[in-house]
Amino acid sequence: MKLVWKLLRQHISIPQFAGFFFANLIGMLIILLGVQFYNDIQNVYDSEDSLMKSDYIILNKKVGTLGSIIGKSGSFSEDEIDDIEDQDFTKKVGLFTPSNYNVRASFDIEGFSKFSTEMFFESVPDEFVDVKSEQWGYKEGETTIPIVLPKNYLDLYNFGFAQSRSLPKLSAGILGAIKLRIQIAGNGHVENFDGRIAGFSSRLNTILVPQAFMQWANEHFSSGNDKEAQRIILEVDNPADEAINAFIQDHNYETDTDKLQASKTNYVLKVIIGIVMSVGLLISILSFYILMLSVYLLVQKNTTKLQNLLLLGYSPAKVSMPYQLLTVGLNVLVFALAWVLLVVVRQIYLAMLESFFPGMERPSMMMALGVGVALLLIVSIFNVVAVRSKITGIWRQKE
Amino acid sequence: MNSIRLKSTLPNVFLNREDIVSDIWRKDITLEKGKFYLIEANSGTGKSSLCSYIFGYRNDYRGEILFDEKNVALFRQKDWSKIRRKHIALMWQELRLFPELTAMENVLIKNKLTGFQKKKTIVQWFDMLGISDKTDTKLQLMSFGQQQRVALIRSLCQPFDFIFVDEPISHLDDSNALIMGNLLTEEAKRQGAGVVTTSIGKHIELDYNQIFKL
Repeated sequence: MKLVWKLLRQHISIPQFAGFFFANLIGMLIILLGVQFYNDIQNVYDSEDSLMKSDYIILNKKVGTLGSIIGKSGSFSEDEIDDIEDQDFTKKVGLFTPSNYNVRASFDIEGFSKFSTEMFFESVPDEFVDVKSEQWGYKEGETTIPIVLPKNYLDLYNFGFAQSRSLPKLSAGILGAIKLRIQIAGNGHVENFDGRIAGFSSRLNTILVPQAFMQWANEHFSSGNDKEAQRIILEVDNPADEAINAFIQDHNYETDTDKLQASKTNYVLKVIIGIVMSVGLLISILSFYILMLSVYLLVQKNTTKLQNLLLLGYSPAKVSMPYQLLTVGLNVLVFALAWVLLVVVRQIYLAMLESFFPGMERPSMMMALGVGVALLLIVSIFNVVAVRSKITGIWRQKE
Repeated sequence: MNSIRLKSTLPNVFLNREDIVSDIWRKDITLEKGKFYLIEANSGTGKSSLCSYIFGYRNDYRGEILFDEKNVALFRQKDWSKIRRKHIALMWQELRLFPELTAMENVLIKNKLTGFQKKKTIVQWFDMLGISDKTDTKLQLMSFGQQQRVALIRSLCQPFDFIFVDEPISHLDDSNALIMGNLLTEEAKRQGAGVVTTSIGKHIELDYNQIFKL
């Protein structure tokens, strides 16, 4: 094979291959950087609220003075729900189920003080809650209920109550380890449960329990007449869609605009990263085109030699191999170098991100690795097949 | 492979010509293993085309070419690669050597593929044909006559049932032609192979069983 390579390396154009190398390097780096940056930034967003995905919107009806006086119900009728489901922007609709019984919760922090409060529960369908399923669920007979609390409650305690009473501040982690004592009463029954805090949500202003528990408890403790849903949770494709705003205003609904803004920012970020990655992909495709042109030119210039090798009895596979190895080798080199650059660039921007969001976790680079390897494989397979078909093409003398 | 049969074979370029008088075109002839043939031809009668058809390099002909009664039109690339390595050797009229390589490298690029001849034998042949001082010379610096000898050595670096030599001595003097003829005979006899030589005038002196006029 050494002699064959000595023959076939004639006419290799260094500038052409260098051109491919750098173009592909830039394209590959942009794509990998896009994937990794998106991953890293998404991680920051998610850690803001790991329980709720960002493209959820919560809708309720405005509470007006007149409505309060005449006792107008703020709940959604079936027609209204159907109407929301029919909108183009809607992917999924879930109803909030309110509790139809009395809840009393208490907990004490060793040696300090005992808290006790009246409260309520709500639930949404489980698919809207992003807690691992083994931690989020309820079976009849269990005495422990997982609960999601609003992040505001924690802030209220830490920065208001604890401050004024000289009590220790509590982190979400510590609270997760504390058990709440819960007493539920209604329909002539009274029962005690343990509440386990499964997480805090900054997007949901309610106390959430699993849907399964809510159903059971409502049957068990309710004295009849079910309450209707006052709030609706929506999953949408694009939270920045103007149609959503228009729809909300037309129907006099309300939503948490802050959260909608965050969703919009996130959406715009996705779009920008998408555009950047498309540019990277375009550069990669063009560089791939350069490589194919160079290889075709090389094959063209060496046609006689290739033909003579075939006539000596070298198989097309053997004759194709040097050029296949050349292109695949270049691709691997590009990928390796792009990866090194990615790691370096990531260190720089992560340092910056961490100064904005202290305590953020560093997500893994598996996704970028997967995308990179997939690209490498696809391009290499294309190269190998193209070289082979070109060689097969010169098998016979063109008449 | 024991026989090569040409059945009503005719190059496409001669299709419109009714006046072709030939012992091969439009006839049914069989070349047998172990026999020596000479094909005499005027230039432009399709001698090199014939070699190309038999070697699977071109297929612009009508009629059939059969190896052991198998039609070669049905052969695939890998069949041809195998035939070129193990069954048919061909010394092209235009030699098809690699000018960038040395004389020895030109031979080794074939021998490394087949692993057929010992390096010692090859060196001996270079010596016999009077080009032992040229082994490390780039081919493009050698005369056509010297290149013809390199091409012959290369064509012997494989097992074969038939060897085709297309005008092998057009640029050789008589004594070198004689040495080449002896070498060819010796190697063909050793392998029990058939020899087919072509010529447009001066031909290599062998013990021919049959002479065709193309």
